[in-house]
Amino acid sequence: MKTRLERWKVGKAEGAVLLLCILPSFPLSAQDSQFGIRGLGTPGRFETVRARTTGGALGPFDALSPIEEASLADLPQLTATAMGGTSYRTADVAGGGGATTSFRSTRFPVMGLAGPVLGRLVLGGGFTTYLDRTWDVRIRDSMSLRGRMQPYTDELTSDGGVTDLRLAAALRVSGRFAIGAAVHVLSGSTRETATRTFDDTTYHQVRQNDDVRYDGIGVSGSALLDVLPTLRLAAFARSDNRLRARLGDVVTAQTDLPTTLGGGLRWAPSPSVRLAGTVTRRSWADAGAGAFNTVSWSAGLELGAGFAPLRVGARGGQLPFGAGTTAPTELGFAFGTGRAFSQGRALLDVGLEHLRRNGGGLSERVWTFLVGFTVRP
Amino acid sequence: MRGFRVAWLAATLGAGGAVACVERAMAPGSCPSFCPSGSITVVDTVLRTSITRDSAFRGYVLANQAGAMVATAAPGLDSRAILLTSTLTSPDTTTYRFLTSDSVKLTLIIIRRDTSAHNLMLKLYQLPDTIDSTTTFADVAGAFGGAPLRTVNIDALLAKPGGIDSTTGDSIATDTTTHRLILKVKFDSLQVPYVAADSGKLGFGIRVSATAPASVTFATREDPTSGGATVTWFMKVDSIKGKDTTLVRERYPGRGTRFDSYVFDPPAAPLDSTLAVGGAPSARSILHVTLPRAIRDSSQIIRGTLLLVPAVPARGASVDSFVLEAHTVLADFGAKSPLVLDATRTDTTMIRVGATDTVRIEVTNLLQFWSADTTRPAVILLRSQEEGAHPSDVRFYPSKAAAYRPSLRVTYAPRFPFGVP
Repeated sequence: MKTRLERWKVGKAEGAVLLLCILPSFPLSAQDSQFGIRGLGTPGRFETVRARTTGGALGPFDALSPIEEASLADLPQLTATAMGGTSYRTADVAGGGGATTSFRSTRFPVMGLAGPVLGRLVLGGGFTTYLDRTWDVRIRDSMSLRGRMQPYTDELTSDGGVTDLRLAAALRVSGRFAIGAAVHVLSGSTRETATRTFDDTTYHQVRQNDDVRYDGIGVSGSALLDVLPTLRLAAFARSDNRLRARLGDVVTAQTDLPTTLGGGLRWAPSPSVRLAGTVTRRSWADAGAGAFNTVSWSAGLELGAGFAPLRVGARGGQLPFGAGTTAPTELGFAFGTGRAFSQGRALLDVGLEHLRRNGGGLSERVWTFLVGFTVRP
Repeated sequence: MRGFRVAWLAATLGAGGAVACVERAMAPGSCPSFCPSGSITVVDTVLRTSITRDSAFRGYVLANQAGAMVATAAPGLDSRAILLTSTLTSPDTTTYRFLTSDSVKLTLIIIRRDTSAHNLMLKLYQLPDTIDSTTTFADVAGAFGGAPLRTVNIDALLAKPGGIDSTTGDSIATDTTTHRLILKVKFDSLQVPYVAADSGKLGFGIRVSATAPASVTFATREDPTSGGATVTWFMKVDSIKGKDTTLVRERYPGRGTRFDSYVFDPPAAPLDSTLAVGGAPSARSILHVTLPRAIRDSSQIIRGTLLLVPAVPARGASVDSFVLEAHTVLADFGAKSPLVLDATRTDTTMIRVGATDTVRIEVTNLLQFWSADTTRPAVILLRSQEEGAHPSDVRFYPSKAAAYRPSLRVTYAPRFPFGVP
């Protein structure tokens, strides 16, 4: 009992530091990839820091990553997780005179809670960013009004996104086989504004805004099969029906959402080494003109089974929205580590990810600092 | 060990917190490839038939009710200021009887003058003390026909040290707050004797002249800043106490006017079918506006201009340009509609006397006001900013004149297509 209390004291001190560090970061606002402005938005990544620092390769095998559900079956106890990430992005537009624009944004894309409830049945829930629709675009132009060219500045902003609210269940059918399924409720809203400011103040500023609400639904299923004691196969599928945009009670747009199919392979030649690879295909072309089907891959390595593992990984693939006739491409690498506290009851994962995106005359470079916190009470 | 772990955690999360500072970045739009699909649309259109049910009314502010009175000498307009001073009676006619006056000082507040007109002269005449609001130019033409009591050269007086003429006793000073000129003109007892039968009432008339057309505007008793002209009497008083007879001089400080106004020739033309604004008594024009529902209800008006074509050149002295105000009303009661006296709901333009150019009044504030609250009557009321204080007026073509009717030029932004990816 004394030992538990001493451990708890350590946990409180560390928890206080954690809260003090995280809390000031919440009231943030910024924007994601410019590739998402023209389409539905920037798709979120259904990965925890652990999975993301392996390039996403460990995602299907990480119980807390919402990309699939079957791995929840390996969760021995109630666990809660959350992550945040701050991105530094530079964008270069072809023909932009070589100008580079820098941006910074902070996101909290994953929160989840899961734990066993009945025997081998594990239930989980949480939310993930499905589409991020936060952007702020400034356009400088002029138009002819009353016989004169009137220069103006437009600022179009959107703040918000679509969240994937997930309720998942997983069952370990046997020692080598587990299955899972989930229902996804897509919900969210964006606060959109359109402002035009003329240089000539005789023309008053145009300022209009509205709240757009989004809804949709999806289902997913997955399975894990241990082909060999050191080799695990994962397969997952997800189908989302459509995303409905509403202004008040009026449906302004209805866009088909993609079907996702993916698979992964994890090889653990020793208890402290895990190698994984994943391939995912999403039919984003269903969303209409300007959208493309995407295939993404990832490969990663996790070393160490103790309290401070090391992770590294790479990823590549396509982005669903962009200008031109082909999908923009994305290539990146990531690495990270973690630290367990209070005998494994609290886990802190950190990582760094670098992405390069190219397409339609735009290239982006993104560095993202990732922090994840997991608690097992 | 514990200290090491806490330090590790603090360092890691501290670094995270440091990089997660608040920032709202804006992307330069590379359109159309990397811009939102929707864009702001701006439409500019002239609404030729949106002004209806327009008419003019006169008699809102009479010349003697205005906050200023004008003396003008210009081709086509002769305007003269007239005023009647308050009475002065002895407080004690037994022991403190007025014998005669020593002198009188008339103080005039000059609100505005044409500084380009040199050798500006004020000629002060004595008028009968029967002048009132019905007095016309012709009624006092005879009194103005004689020799003036005094003539004051404003420019010469301003050039004197301290603005004081020690010979005549006149003085002039500038109020540094209001930038008005305060002119004091001295009359001796021969020029202006104290007439006990009139209780000291004095009628004055003022004409102006200069090397060029001239116009001078004086404050009246309705002027809230100064209260208008005042007269100060210096009286000789017979103070008898027992057998001792002493003659004393007593100052009776500034007394305001009983009445002040101005008369002008030619008189204001009667109203006709045109839309008259200004003059004395002042005229106002009322215009009803019908905005298309698509603009009023679903768009944002960013500029609105009322276009008015003068039917005749604006009348008055060329130096007496005036400001025309466009107001809206609290309720539409026709000629008696109460005005919305709110600076943010008032638009103005300058009317140049003699000009026939189309008059443009920016009425964006009013159009936005009606769009924001559609229960408000969409009525524009045109009036002169200094109602009744000048004889200048302007007349515009009404809506009956199809070719030159009042119209509205509106620039607006239709609703942005939100909610469309």
